[in-house]
Amino acid sequence: MFHGSVMPSYRAKCERLWPVVAATIALLAGTSLQARAADLPRIASINLCTDQLLVTLADPEQVLGLSPYARDPFRSWDKDKAKAFRLLSGEAEDVLALKPDVVVAGRFTKRATRELLKEKGLKVAEFDPARSLDDVRKQLRQMGALVKHPDRAEAEIAKLDTAIAQAHAAVQRKPLRVLAVSRRGWVSGGENLTTSLLSAVGLRNAGGELGLKAGGFASLEAIVTLKPDLLLVTDNTDFAEDEGRAFLLHPALEKFYPASKRLVLPERLTACGGPTIVEALDRLTTEISRVAP
Amino acid sequence: MVTAAPAARRRTIATIALVGLVTLLALGSLGTGPVKLSPLTVLDALFSGGSDVQQIIVREIRLPRAILALAIGAILGLSGAALQGLLRNPLASPSLFGAPQSAAFGAVLMISLGWADVRSWALPVAGITMAFLSVFVLLGIAGRNAGLLLLILAGLAISSLAGAATALVMNLSPNPFAALEIAFWLLGSLEDRSFRHVTLALPFIVAGAILLMSQRSAFRALSLGEETAQSLGVNVSRLRLLVILGVALGVGGAVAVTGTIGFIGLIAPHLMRPIIGHDPARLLIPSALTGSALLLAADIAVRLIPSTTDIKVGVLTSIIGVPFFLYLIMRERRALGGGVA
Repeated sequence: MFHGSVMPSYRAKCERLWPVVAATIALLAGTSLQARAADLPRIASINLCTDQLLVTLADPEQVLGLSPYARDPFRSWDKDKAKAFRLLSGEAEDVLALKPDVVVAGRFTKRATRELLKEKGLKVAEFDPARSLDDVRKQLRQMGALVKHPDRAEAEIAKLDTAIAQAHAAVQRKPLRVLAVSRRGWVSGGENLTTSLLSAVGLRNAGGELGLKAGGFASLEAIVTLKPDLLLVTDNTDFAEDEGRAFLLHPALEKFYPASKRLVLPERLTACGGPTIVEALDRLTTEISRVAP
Repeated sequence: MVTAAPAARRRTIATIALVGLVTLLALGSLGTGPVKLSPLTVLDALFSGGSDVQQIIVREIRLPRAILALAIGAILGLSGAALQGLLRNPLASPSLFGAPQSAAFGAVLMISLGWADVRSWALPVAGITMAFLSVFVLLGIAGRNAGLLLLILAGLAISSLAGAATALVMNLSPNPFAALEIAFWLLGSLEDRSFRHVTLALPFIVAGAILLMSQRSAFRALSLGEETAQSLGVNVSRLRLLVILGVALGVGGAVAVTGTIGFIGLIAPHLMRPIIGHDPARLLIPSALTGSALLLAADIAVRLIPSTTDIKVGVLTSIIGVPFFLYLIMRERRALGGGVA
């Protein structure tokens, strides 16, 4: 009875008080966020792919520096965004001087630098090269957790899923056989990001039919005999800066695959399993409607 | 005349046999490739029969390759014979003098700095200029009557310089793939060339060949000794310049589309000398044909040898050429040893 009589009034009181409490909580949370900005880990990146994840998911104040290629117009995912941050040499010295809470790096690059940094007591977080869209999700979550912004990682993953769905819808009307071919006729084998993109959006990867399991060079003759519906290339200019590029401009290929039969996906969009994959998928959607209207 | 007649007949037979061999090898080159096509299909596709894929394979992929192998082999053989005639020296050849390496440097300069499309005229022009410069400098350094040792040493120095300069421009290149591309390219290959490459190289090769052939009788006079040649009305310094120019045009044009393919120019005249005799004028055409046959055969071989990636034809010609060169050195040991002592 005691409870029964008190509870309603207590609840009523709470309900009346609620806006005040909420405001107080919001205020407290706000101040604590400001206070926490300083507590959030400060991170230095020595790899182009981790640069991209870091800048997308962290607060700008958390980014101590990016890898040397971050502003490179050909390799960087977004050279303009990278301009806001300091460039590092990619070597150990300046990283040590910055005393970051975490250094992010690629698993297979800069081994000596990573070892040295670890020896000096720095925390080095290593990222695998992404081989599939699942890897992309995993890496977004990994970086999200590292910078203490998991919500942002989930938002990026949601964007990724939307882009996949859109590209898939664009493809579904026409299940085409696509051969992803690079300079010199290189066709990557096994699991990799580009083939994962193709299968995720419902395109058929003709590369498997060449029998190059570990990747390899496909000859011009093999490609024209394979007769895929489309080629997936990284570039559509007519300038052959070397023989590797001239391969893709060989008259035999141009005859069967003029610009209207080539999906163009710039390499900088697919080089890293990061937020650029969303852009890559969007580009793929546009390209599919361009080449197969 | 009693002894000359059988010799003349032997030369004619040898030349006809070589023409036949080159024709067969050229057809063999059209019939070889990663996609198996029967000889009949190949011939059919060549004369606009067969499916569109077969036509493209034979006419756009294999035909330019065969034409390039034929023309480049010929100009290399011819250059070798001409240089050996000019210098009256059996070890003379474009590759030992650093001409292909220098031409490669010229072309690599264009590739790695990204100044020109690899399918543009800039490449053969740069290659020819460098090849001309290198042979010119070589003969300038070694002097007119240079012995074997001097020529080879100077040639070695020029090849090394060209190699180092090539490595330097490779390092300075803004193209991230430059190192790999140039390394591949330097090995020498006829893979995946198109008629655009044929158009680039052929005019220079033909011009070089005509120039060298036009000096035929001068080589014969020169084989009697420089003074005799001069008394017969041969302007030796003009001849030198024309031969250098002819070799530079041919080798520079060839290197610009295939990279460096060595030792054909050295081997071809030697194979022909026992059959044709030592007359440098008569040696020119058979050497050119032998060069064609050698390069066509090597280019067929690289496609037949099972491997995961294509073996480069320049590698094969060097693997065959270097032991041959060593054998020549062994044979010339006495002359060389005398030079050192």
